[in-house]
Amino acid sequence: MLSRTAENLYWSARYIERADSIARLLEVAYRIHLIPNTSEGYLNEWESILSASGIKDEYLNNYNTISKNKIEYFLLFDPNNNSSVKSCIENARNNLKMVRTAVTLEVWNTINTWYHEIESHDKKKYDSRNLPQILDWIKKHVNLIKGTINNTQLMNDGFDFIYLGIFYERADFTARIIDVKYYILLPSSSYIGTQVDNFQWSMMLRSVSAYRGFKWAYGNTQIDYTKIIDFLILSDLCPRSIFYAVNKIRHHLNRLTTFYKSDNSAHRKMITIHKGLSNSTSEQIIEFGLHEFLTKLIDDMSTTYSDLEEIYFLGIDK
Amino acid sequence: MYNEVFEKKKPRKSYEDIVTWANSLPYSTLMKKKIEAENLFKKIGITFSVYNNFDSAERLIPFDMFPRIISKLEWIEIQEGVIQRSLAINAFLRDIYSKCEIIKAKKIPAELIYTNPAYEIKMVGVKVPYNIYSPIVGTDIIRTDSKSFRVLEDNCRTPSGVSYMIENREIMMRMFPELFEKINIEPVENYSSYLLDILKSLAPKKCEKDPKIVILTPGPLNSAYYEHSYLADTMGVELVQGSDLIVEDNITFMRTTQGKQRVDIIYRRIDDDFIDPLSFDETSVIGVPGLFHSYRSGYVNICSAPGAGIADDKAIYTYMPEIIRFYLGEEPKLPSIKTWRCSKPADKNYVLNNLKKLVVKEVHGSGGYGMLIGNSATQSKINIFKKKIENNPDNYIAQPILSLSSVPIFKKNLLTSRHVDLRPFTLIGNRKRKLVPGGLTRVALKEGSLVVNSSQGGGVKDTWVLRN
Repeated sequence: MLSRTAENLYWSARYIERADSIARLLEVAYRIHLIPNTSEGYLNEWESILSASGIKDEYLNNYNTISKNKIEYFLLFDPNNNSSVKSCIENARNNLKMVRTAVTLEVWNTINTWYHEIESHDKKKYDSRNLPQILDWIKKHVNLIKGTINNTQLMNDGFDFIYLGIFYERADFTARIIDVKYYILLPSSSYIGTQVDNFQWSMMLRSVSAYRGFKWAYGNTQIDYTKIIDFLILSDLCPRSIFYAVNKIRHHLNRLTTFYKSDNSAHRKMITIHKGLSNSTSEQIIEFGLHEFLTKLIDDMSTTYSDLEEIYFLGIDK
Repeated sequence: MYNEVFEKKKPRKSYEDIVTWANSLPYSTLMKKKIEAENLFKKIGITFSVYNNFDSAERLIPFDMFPRIISKLEWIEIQEGVIQRSLAINAFLRDIYSKCEIIKAKKIPAELIYTNPAYEIKMVGVKVPYNIYSPIVGTDIIRTDSKSFRVLEDNCRTPSGVSYMIENREIMMRMFPELFEKINIEPVENYSSYLLDILKSLAPKKCEKDPKIVILTPGPLNSAYYEHSYLADTMGVELVQGSDLIVEDNITFMRTTQGKQRVDIIYRRIDDDFIDPLSFDETSVIGVPGLFHSYRSGYVNICSAPGAGIADDKAIYTYMPEIIRFYLGEEPKLPSIKTWRCSKPADKNYVLNNLKKLVVKEVHGSGGYGMLIGNSATQSKINIFKKKIENNPDNYIAQPILSLSSVPIFKKNLLTSRHVDLRPFTLIGNRKRKLVPGGLTRVALKEGSLVVNSSQGGGVKDTWVLRN
């Protein structure tokens, strides 16, 4: 497979996953917005989703106030925002267009249709009341695309590069949202364990669409944040957990090294990260410091990505 | 004007079934199908971009559902004519880049070749695999009367449109399967496998194994990008850009996830100038440094060969009957169109005095740009061309204003006549010639217009060659 093809597949998949993540973030913000502001701590939810998606500065460059309507537009459609859902869809499609032949016609059709539909959504003036429908529409398309990939793509190396894109994006997103929530929404440690605190954690579960999953996995117990950390970082049951994504990345790197009959440092480093997570407990993570733990994990993951990039996309032996 | 469908208001034999069908189609069905067709094109992503246009967005090429029909006998005439022409073009290219017999025989003036910007001096003496310079030739054919088809233009660099030929058929079959059950229509879907077969037969000397073929594209912003990806996909070959290829020790490789992999045959869809910044235009960023040297050393074949474009130059076109006689010893099977070369004083005078009756074309222009259609142009435009011709007569040729034949399009619920041309695609390999029965019919959508180019408001139709 051409190096450029592999790279375009990887990025296309990352953008698809990112569009999905942003839709889920908006969904939580929307939900919080419907709950009366009686407690402290979550008043600035809108601001927090800008931080979680790493685009607060970009937003403030374009708008001077934080307002619900503007943020929604900024995250969904704004062409100035490189991570708006619309930009993600465009980027996903452009990357795929470069390598049209590497995906099936059905996969191309689903993404191309998605693109044409968001164009027509964007032509209308944005109306905040349509937010739930728009979010449903985005999530529906992402699921359709992933299903089409699973059902129609040849299970060759291209398939692995697509899934590497999806899971690198997911691991990064989940790590970032835990980190941001932990920091921004709990301005002082006195909140830990309070009503506000638990409410925030449950919102975080929702933001990665894992709320019900959590209830099923841990029984209908009181939400408690060691369990949530376990579920979102270490669980192999939760498809949004970091461990799940790491496990998948390891799996696809393993397939590639077997397929190409040549091992490499990205794969070896990923095995180490996987082993580290398998042997961790949420108590250890808390003791180490959640923020410190996540920062190190994000750093380690990006080292494996740089290796992967050099080996497969740039053709440098490692 | 020749009406291909009706003769004295009654449909000709080959069109009988389709006219009955078209007349019985309710308006509502027609509209529904039209939207369905557009959605299909959009969904599959069959789009093109327009050059010289500030709006770089992708556009759909307008598709008309009334098919263009060619009878079996008509097709045989076209087929023999375009194959003959393609063989002559390849023989001509081989000659002007080696012994130049045609110039020595004084059949064509030397300056027309040597001062032609499309003549590539670096190709002189290069050994081209099997002497096939232009394996893919698109011939633009028009019809002015009931008797014969005529050649308007040859395209032997990187002719495009073949994907429309195939997709137009796919869409018609999907929308109106009942027509295909009733009428025996030659299929066109074999084009990609023919092309693969032809390219495979042109492996360079130093290719040791089964040749590795790639298509070289300028990238997704090119107007024909959809076609490049379509062909790569249906042939099962990689679609590469310049940056994917590297030349080391004269051998051409592509960068893959498993390291470098050797490439033997490049079907290039980029222009000569951009192929290799070391040999041609040094500012090219879409080319491959060293590729031309690799080609010259026999490690890789580039199809079509650099410099092949001279054969479709409009000034050379006027000599095509001579070229066919000289190399093949045959009379041209498809006539050309009477052409005045402004480089000749007598012709120039005639042209200047009769501009209103003529079409004036720039010798090196394409895509319907730089053209004057005398009877519909304003006086000021005619004056501009007059000056242009006087200042640089060599740069212009003129032809009579031919009324292209017409085929109806659906306009609302009525059939109304529009002018059409036809571009079949001939494939020439090592001891192989292939041609799918069909071609691209382009149609001028504006009433009375003779310009069929998609960049200037032309549309397309499915083209049916009948089996019996």
